[in-house]
Amino acid sequence: MPIGSSSPRVRPARSGQADAATMKQRGHRGGVHATARPTSRGARAERLAPYVLVAPAVLIIVGLRLWPLVLGVDFSFTGDGELNGTPVGASNYLELLGDPLFRTSLGNVGLLVLLLPIAVAIPGLLATFIYLRVPGHRVYRSVYFFPAVLSPVIVGAIFNLMLGFDGPVNAVLGAIGAGPVDWLGDPGIAMFTVVGVHVWATFGMALVVFLAGFSTLDASLLDAARVDGASLGRTIWHVIIPSLTRTIQFVFVTTMIGMLTSMFGLLFVMTGGGPEGSTYLPEYYIWHQQGQMNRPALASAASTVLFVVMLVVGLLQISVLRRAGRQD
Amino acid sequence: MKQRALWSVLLAAGLAVAGCGSAARTESPSGGGSPQKQKLVVWDWKSGEPAAAAYVEKAKADFAQRHPDVTVEFVAQPFDQYYTLLGTAIQSNKGPDVMLFNGGGQIRDRVNALVPLDPYVTEDKSRLAGWDAFGKDGKTYAVPVTLQGHPIYYNKTLYEKAGLDPAKPPKTWDEFVGDCATIKKATGAACFALGNKEGFGIQFFMSGLGSGILTPQEYDDWIAGKRDWTSPHVKRIFELWKEANDKGLNNEGANSTAMFNDIFRVFETNKATHIIGLMSDVGHWKDFAEFLPPDKIGVMPAPVVTGGATPSLPYDGGIGYAVAKWTRDPKLAADLVRSLTSTDALTAFYAKAGAIASDTTIDVSQAGPAVAAIVPEIKTGKPALHVALSSKTLDLMGRLSQQLLSGSATVDKAVRQLADSDRTS
Repeated sequence: MPIGSSSPRVRPARSGQADAATMKQRGHRGGVHATARPTSRGARAERLAPYVLVAPAVLIIVGLRLWPLVLGVDFSFTGDGELNGTPVGASNYLELLGDPLFRTSLGNVGLLVLLLPIAVAIPGLLATFIYLRVPGHRVYRSVYFFPAVLSPVIVGAIFNLMLGFDGPVNAVLGAIGAGPVDWLGDPGIAMFTVVGVHVWATFGMALVVFLAGFSTLDASLLDAARVDGASLGRTIWHVIIPSLTRTIQFVFVTTMIGMLTSMFGLLFVMTGGGPEGSTYLPEYYIWHQQGQMNRPALASAASTVLFVVMLVVGLLQISVLRRAGRQD
Repeated sequence: MKQRALWSVLLAAGLAVAGCGSAARTESPSGGGSPQKQKLVVWDWKSGEPAAAAYVEKAKADFAQRHPDVTVEFVAQPFDQYYTLLGTAIQSNKGPDVMLFNGGGQIRDRVNALVPLDPYVTEDKSRLAGWDAFGKDGKTYAVPVTLQGHPIYYNKTLYEKAGLDPAKPPKTWDEFVGDCATIKKATGAACFALGNKEGFGIQFFMSGLGSGILTPQEYDDWIAGKRDWTSPHVKRIFELWKEANDKGLNNEGANSTAMFNDIFRVFETNKATHIIGLMSDVGHWKDFAEFLPPDKIGVMPAPVVTGGATPSLPYDGGIGYAVAKWTRDPKLAADLVRSLTSTDALTAFYAKAGAIASDTTIDVSQAGPAVAAIVPEIKTGKPALHVALSSKTLDLMGRLSQQLLSGSATVDKAVRQLADSDRTS
């Protein structure tokens, strides 16, 4: 941002004066042209311009983003129900700390981070196969992308039917002699089921990014590897992955964001946070406390915690991306 | 450009001034001035349904007769988001004048935002039933529209197929389990259709069977708020819940089957013999009758589990209209609530939407044996056990019930946690 030189702090005050002066002059002189102004005033206006130009953006950010954020944090230190509006200190945060449901939801965020490599590896591998022109790669390219255009609610409803205890998936399992699996009713499995469905529904986007990355890949390296007789595994490990570092990092970051911010719809439709509260995520917890339990202040506290978590994750991601940028 | 700078400064100042003050205002804004034409806004999740059209029409007509100069606007909200939206309205002290509530925890948690209606509805007290669910600390906050309860429905066809007499359903728990085994052998149908994905199954179970487990004294104490969680009978409710599942009385996958509305399909398709259902809205006599012959749907009292228990129909006010405290003229809004609960309107609601209306004077003789079995029980019926619990405790109970079914919690641990939660809320 071209703000100019030395003393930015005094400038807004002066700019106010300059404004008032100009207005006065205009009032006196009537329709006299601006070119008649002294040069010093013109220079001042020049220095003022950046502030004025960024003002709308700053105001929108401050008024519609930061100020509500401050209000939300402020609200999280007040009580619920009969204590509505009265300050209660950190008791909402202490309650969160003691609530096993909230701890589960944070734990599930950790689980998502752990599952991230799998969520990135799947589109990566599939994109590799498409790039290496396995038979039918054109068909796969569109088929893989297709679920990405479905809304989570539709995806959730489809998989609810598929994965129901008496649903078709268990029927197939039963036909081959494997016992039925309670996909959405077993607390040890349900979270993995939902994450699996989420990956299924969204990996198309990452696949496209990978394919774009592949288009920048130096084909002569692959040819060289082939001539040297490298196996598929070695080609992937030694040629493809090193050349795609930036793409992989980018997909990591976007997949992470997707997992942390857009699982609500699926959870809402598929498990409702259950069974036994095992599929809660902070977002779902916040919605539950605010809408179902009538605890808006507690929900604000949970939102604040989630905000801090996302801030940390976001900063880490930015530093990862920066480092990737420097490498090139 | 200069002017724009000025505007920016003005805008910033305006924002700063408007933003001042605490996050949640607790005072109620009083509407000044006399409006030319008054308008009342009603929030609910019913009025948009075709089945409720006749009801809304009748209620509007009744109100228009008494207050021709007032317009009434119905805003149908999606039920999924209803309490979230209402929460926002309450937080800002602005919103509908009249709103629909579920009885029990949902309204009790929000009475701070409501006007006590006792002075306005004295005439209706004896005509309507189900008031308790809308009261707190001796005050009434909403007028019941429907009654909601948990009768045990059973499939008479399956009883017949197993060689049992459907006119004589089992009276005790042991007989009940015995009959279930016979039916299972003959037809393969499970004893209970149980959907506990949302954690609602335990609520239905507790209330549907509770009157056969607790003694009348314990039952009344429970409703009155003196809940003895250390009583062996209270513990028996949860033991029975676990036992029923361990003995294979429930359909498989109860924890992943949704109560709304997957489990009702299980009952309707003859895959289970009994279901603890509802009286109004969904999962009731009218719903089931679309799939099963109406004369083959029976309703039985809770089987007696402990000696000395007297089974009764568990029911409460189901949904009811309340008046917001920020409304300009509470009397006018209360009048609208009275129109919404007039006999004419409620008759339309009962007939079209499939609900046991709160009005005890409605004639239900045409509706089939299930309704004929339910309605006479209303006089001796008692409030449902789970409705007396706070929504926080119910939420916990839902999760614990899933743990009991999967075996990851013991009955003792569950009862202890529930007792703690009940004490603090």
